[in-house]
Amino acid sequence: MLEIKNLHVKIADEDAEILKGIDLVVPRGEVHAIMGPNGSGKSTLAYVLAGREDYEVTDGDILWNGESILGMEPDERAAKGVFLAFQYPMEIPGVAGLTFLRTAANAVRKKRGHEELTTPAFMKLVKERAASLNIDVEMLKRPVNVGFSGGEKKRSEILQMAMLEPSLCVLDETDSGLDIDALRIVADGVNALRGPDRAMLVITHYQRLLNHIVPDKVHVLAYGKIRRSGGKELALELEKSGYAEFQKDAA
Amino acid sequence: MNVAVMKTRAEVALTEGFAGVADALPGSDEVRQARTAAIGRFAAHGLPHRRIEEWKYTDLRGVMKDALPLAVGDQTKTTIADVIVAMGALGRIDAPRLVLVNGTYRRELSNLDGISGVVVTPLSAALQAGASASLSLDEEDRGSQALLALNAAYVTDGAVIDVAAGTKLAEPLLVVHVRAGGIAQRTVSRSQIRVGDGAQVTIVEMFVAVPGSIADGQTNAASEVVVGANAEVGHVKVAMDLGQVIHLANWLVELGTDSNYRAFQYTSGVGLARNQVRTTFKGENAKLDISGAFLARNSEHIDTTLFVDHATPGGESRELFKGVLDGEARGIFQGKVIVRRDAQKTDGKQMAQALMLSETAEFDSKPELEIYADDVVCGHGSTSAALDGELLFYLRARGIPLKEARALLIQSFIGEAIDKIDNVAVREALMSEAETWLAASI
Ligand SMILES: Nc1ncnc2c1ncn2[C@@H]1O[C@H](COP(=O)(O)OP(=O)(O)O)[C@@H](O)[C@H]1O
Ligand SMILES: [Mg+2]
Repeated sequence: MLEIKNLHVKIADEDAEILKGIDLVVPRGEVHAIMGPNGSGKSTLAYVLAGREDYEVTDGDILWNGESILGMEPDERAAKGVFLAFQYPMEIPGVAGLTFLRTAANAVRKKRGHEELTTPAFMKLVKERAASLNIDVEMLKRPVNVGFSGGEKKRSEILQMAMLEPSLCVLDETDSGLDIDALRIVADGVNALRGPDRAMLVITHYQRLLNHIVPDKVHVLAYGKIRRSGGKELALELEKSGYAEFQKDAA
Repeated sequence: MNVAVMKTRAEVALTEGFAGVADALPGSDEVRQARTAAIGRFAAHGLPHRRIEEWKYTDLRGVMKDALPLAVGDQTKTTIADVIVAMGALGRIDAPRLVLVNGTYRRELSNLDGISGVVVTPLSAALQAGASASLSLDEEDRGSQALLALNAAYVTDGAVIDVAAGTKLAEPLLVVHVRAGGIAQRTVSRSQIRVGDGAQVTIVEMFVAVPGSIADGQTNAASEVVVGANAEVGHVKVAMDLGQVIHLANWLVELGTDSNYRAFQYTSGVGLARNQVRTTFKGENAKLDISGAFLARNSEHIDTTLFVDHATPGGESRELFKGVLDGEARGIFQGKVIVRRDAQKTDGKQMAQALMLSETAEFDSKPELEIYADDVVCGHGSTSAALDGELLFYLRARGIPLKEARALLIQSFIGEAIDKIDNVAVREALMSEAETWLAASI
């Protein structure tokens, strides 16, 4: 279970708060969506979950399976099952995709007390999972994300997620920049990972993605706080009304 | 106006010390005369200093406080095992080699059996036979003229490699300069590489030390390379784990018509290095790739200075130099590309990149393009940056621990340059040397 308690966050070198007291609980087995206007702090929340250094938590806590993760390094969190699919996946020149995937998969396996994957076992797994995401293994011989289209980068994130087998998946605007076919492939990839032991936090600006990844709950994040929570129908309502009303609430 | 220059102690020692060793140096009377003339040229120039444009960042006159005694007639009990160990990861390469210990050819440590189409002789033998032309090498800037004059005056030995036209050697040919015996001394060597038309060969010049025998040292090494028409030449220079030495190297290269010359220079663990290369396109449509990797920490100082002279049409030149700088280390890259009026359809690209592992490291980069032809494509670039924090976060968010993430990023950075080496065994050995070096910085 993910428990976010009264979370206050600011940029390390600045004064202005971005997150102003977030409370959120996502039980295992559930998918929650976070929606909200641009600049409301969605990516900030995602980064803070993953342990990025530029942000400072000034109050509150984040518990994953009852344990606070705030003091953990990003790689320790990954070993504990936390995975963030980046809104803007990065290019890593000079590091081949397969090397990256294998290094990452084996690093978390080792920390979780599993055997490291042998080369044939790794190749078998990566071929299987890449195929289901419509990713050509040849592409993975190239440096990570270098020269990939926006859609290819997003699929590559989901492949990384599939390879690392996380238990808490945070997807930050994985739908942005995808055409309808790519969206379906990505959504199928995400849905394949749904299960009773996984919690998922799906961040999106638009309702569209939630037709494919149907959430158990929807939360509206605006001006640094969860302003409203509801069932999947809340997403449809927002699609019609927009986020204007939350501007009033915040004022 | 003639300004009288105060001579430094090193300059006095280098000029006046010549008479004392001249008798011990190899060569006929004619060679002796050429050496004496050369010491006169050196005396007129003095050591290169920062007021010479090409030596702005490497003030040799300031740095070289004294001249160490010249190494002549090596007497150390260096064994083949010592040589193999000194070669590091490259010691595992099973290939013909010529070995010089402290500037002297050592036949019993060399292995030149079974190569056909290539004649390898020590330079000392050629000088005894009166090949005074072997000393005529010259450069354009005053600083390098002085160093080449010093080299001509004092050279003790080197490799003369003649590759017959059409010869194809699969294995690389190694010229191994070993420092041994822990003696603080100065070594002066010169090599000549002549590759006949259509020949294919890879030559590796290595400057290494027997571990545990590190001492102060000064090296003045020159290589002259003439690449025949349609020849394909790989030319690698490795200078590593030499300690607090002053390592001065000059390559002068001429490219024949339709030739393909691929050079690589690897430098790590060297106190001060000046690697200068001049390549001249003599024939049309030749291809040149000169790339390199330099790794420096503490107060090491690595200077790469290139001159690429497109004198003929249709030439292609590529340069990619990458450096990793830690501690107080300083990296310098000067790359001058000249495209002469006749050199139409020249295609030249140059890139120099430094990865800074500390805030006190320094990288100076000075690319220069001088273009006199109108139909050319030329470009250059230079970057200097620390490891990308966002990239590190991305890797760590995927479970890769900080040390491993740093290693992966640094290796990939330097690997991109090392990948330029065609010979698989040499490439892999140098990558492994780089990884060993990096392990101490991660
Ligand atoms: N690294 C940063 N430096 C400065 N400002 C930032 C940084 N990250 C986020 N912000 C600011 O914090 C606010 C929230 O941004 P973000 O979390 O990216 O919102 P969202 O993902 O909801 O669009 C914005 O006003 C943004 O400009
Ligand atoms: Mg965002």
